Amino acid sequence: MSTGEMLDPEDLDERERTALEHLGKRLGDDEFVLAERYTEWQVRSPSLESDLALSNIAQDELGHARLWYDVLDDVGLDEEELVYERDPDTFRHSTLVEQPFPEGDWADAILRSYLYDIAEKLRLEALEQSSYPKIADRVGKIQGEEEYHLEHAQNWLERLADGEDGTGRLQEALDRLFPHALTLFEPTDPDVEEDIVELGLRTATLPELGEEWLSIVLPFLESLDLDVPESGLADADGYAVTGEMLPAVRGRDGSHTESWDDLFADLTHTYRELERDRPTKIMEQP
Amino acid sequence: MSSEIPDPSEEPTPCAYTEYTEGEGVADLPATGEDAAGIEADVWDALYEIEDPEMPISIVDLGLIYGVDVTDDVATIDMTLTYSGCPARDMLLDEVEERVEAVEDIDGTHLRLVWSPEWSLEMVTEQGEQDLTEFGLAV
Repeated sequence: MSTGEMLDPEDLDERERTALEHLGKRLGDDEFVLAERYTEWQVRSPSLESDLALSNIAQDELGHARLWYDVLDDVGLDEEELVYERDPDTFRHSTLVEQPFPEGDWADAILRSYLYDIAEKLRLEALEQSSYPKIADRVGKIQGEEEYHLEHAQNWLERLADGEDGTGRLQEALDRLFPHALTLFEPTDPDVEEDIVELGLRTATLPELGEEWLSIVLPFLESLDLDVPESGLADADGYAVTGEMLPAVRGRDGSHTESWDDLFADLTHTYRELERDRPTKIMEQP
Repeated sequence: MSSEIPDPSEEPTPCAYTEYTEGEGVADLPATGEDAAGIEADVWDALYEIEDPEMPISIVDLGLIYGVDVTDDVATIDMTLTYSGCPARDMLLDEVEERVEAVEDIDGTHLRLVWSPEWSLEMVTEQGEQDLTEFGLAV
C-alpha cells in the first residue's frame, strides 16, 4: 500500500535506497541494452528511412537510460559503476533486450520493439504518480519521445504481416521472443519488488502490468494472423503470466542468456583495451 | 489514377510530421529573468550569452532555463534540454556552470537538470522565434 507521501532524496533509509536502486536498474538497463542491440542495425536496415528511424529510436533509448541512471546518482552510483565497471551478472534487464538478432531478421527487430514498447508504455503510466520526485519528473519527457516508437513498430508489423513470407518470419520471431518478453514482468527480487510498490515508487504491481500487457498484445498479434503461444491466452481468470511460460533465465534476477556475456564484452571492448578506469569525455573544455 | 498518386491540381499534402507547434504553454515559462535585479540579473545576462550548439539562439530564448536563484552568492539554476538523448548535454551543462561561476560575486553553482514540464516550442521567446526564423527555421 502506498502511503501517498513523497520520499525525500536527502533522507532515504536502507530499504528505500535498495528499492530505488533495483527499480532504477531494471528501467535503465532495459533501455541501455535494447539501444545497444538496435544500433546493430545501423547501415543494415532494409531502407535508408528505416535505418534512420531505428537509429533514432536507439538514441532515444540511450537518452532514457541516462535519465534513469541519473536517478541512481542519489544512491551514489555513477556512470562507470553502472556500465563500464559493472559485473555483467548484476545487470537487471529483461532477457528480451539482450537477444541477438538472427542475421538480417528485420521482423525480429520490429516485433521485439512492439513487445517492449507496449510494456514500456504501461510501466511509464505506473510511474506517473511515483513517490520519488525525480522519477515522476522525467516520465512525461520520456512518454513524449516514446509515442512514435510504438507507431513505428505497429506500422511495420502490419506491413510485414501482409504477406506470407513476412508472416512466417514474424511467427518464428514470436515463438522465439515471447517467453523472453514475459521476463519484463519478473521481479529483481521478490521482497524488494514488494517494497517498490509499498513505497509507492511504482503504483502498479508486476502481475498487474503483465496482465494488462497480455490483454493488449495477444489480441493485436492474433489480428495479424499470428499464432500466439497458447499458455498466454485468456482463461476463466483472464490474462496472467504464469511460471511455465517463462524461460529458464529471467534477466531481472541477474541470470542471463549467453548472448549477454558476448554483448557486454563487445560494448566494453574498447574501454578495456585502452585500459580505462573511467569513461572519457571527447571534450573536457568545449 | 491510383489514389496513392497525389493529384497535382490539389493543394500539396504535407507529410504527417511537419507539425512543430504542438506543446502546451506553461504559466511562468519561458523564464527570461526580466524581473531579476542585482546579482540574479547578472546571472541571467551570463546565461543569455550562451548559445545553443547547433543554432544561433541564446539558451534563454530557446526556453531551456526554468529558473535562477542566488542565495548566499550560490546560484541555483533549473534548466532542461530539448531532447533526452541530447549529445551536447555535457558540453552545454559545463558551459552554463563555467559562465555562471565567472559572474562577479558568484561563489558556486548548483545546476539542476529538470524534465518537467517538458520543453516544447511554446517555451521559445519572441526574440527566440525571430532568431530561429532568421536562421531559416519555420516556427
